[in-house]
Amino acid sequence: MLPLWLGTVPFAVAYAVTARAAGLSVGQVCVMSLTTFAGASQFAAAGLLGGHASGLGIVLTTFLLNVRHVLYGLSLSRQLALSPLQRLTAAQFLTDEAYGVAVVHGPQGPGGLSFAFLLGTELSLYVSWNVATLLGALAGSVVPDPEKLGVGVIFPLAFIGLLVPQLTDRLALLVAAVAGLGGWLLSQVLPGGLVILLAGAGGALLGAALLTRRERGAGR
Amino acid sequence: MNTSLLLFLMWGVTYPARLLGLSLGRVQLSEFWLNFLKFVPVSVFAALVVPDVLGPEWARRLPAALVAALLMLRLGNLALSLLGGVGAYWLARGLGL
Repeated sequence: MLPLWLGTVPFAVAYAVTARAAGLSVGQVCVMSLTTFAGASQFAAAGLLGGHASGLGIVLTTFLLNVRHVLYGLSLSRQLALSPLQRLTAAQFLTDEAYGVAVVHGPQGPGGLSFAFLLGTELSLYVSWNVATLLGALAGSVVPDPEKLGVGVIFPLAFIGLLVPQLTDRLALLVAAVAGLGGWLLSQVLPGGLVILLAGAGGALLGAALLTRRERGAGR
Repeated sequence: MNTSLLLFLMWGVTYPARLLGLSLGRVQLSEFWLNFLKFVPVSVFAALVVPDVLGPEWARRLPAALVAALLMLRLGNLALSLLGGVGAYWLARGLGL
């Protein structure tokens, strides 16, 4: 679990500092980590708040970013039978990282992947994420004028850190290029939240169309 | 929109997505929509990064972004990538860009 914390802790601290700079209180910064608990969308919300995007745009961006969790849930529920109460619990703490660990390391234990293993993985990330959020939010309060220090640059850098490992083949590169340049062009004429939604959904639709055609072409 | 409502709605669109997947073990999504969900992160991340880097502060943020991307590619470490990028940003700013 340690390598995961090394990834999430700096990200949580960076999120908290950015959100403080965008005008959220320490309490609000922490509540977002306790409830939404989704790094990328929390960071996006902090960045968009700093750019004075509309609330609706932020909520829709959050939805688009987190709709991928449907995939993780689908995949887990095929490998693991959960009671309704277990589902309600596991859903609150489900993240990319927890899914990754549960699917890769869960089946190696005696008896295969269990609810206990899944929840343990989820909670260890939840605790470290929220402790790091609190520390980052407090650190953000000590810095007198974070904007002057240029903390705004942390936002795109953190997403580059998430984006680069996903660029595993040419199709992913193409989707990123189209969504990135499309987003840049749209940002000249449209407000922030809407840009992410349109360019993000547009790029994913393009990727899905091309990949689905390729898979069918390969005779599957 | 006030911040408390915003925080609540963000949770309100996130939790159901997580619960829905966990509750739909038997449902088969079409190949196209499974592929769509797979491409959402890469697409959204790029749409967040590029307009921000190429904004008003591009002369400082572009070098920072390139350094961070290169470090991430070579070392695969988020903390080092962030630190290197912020360092490049400061360097560019120090050079008067």
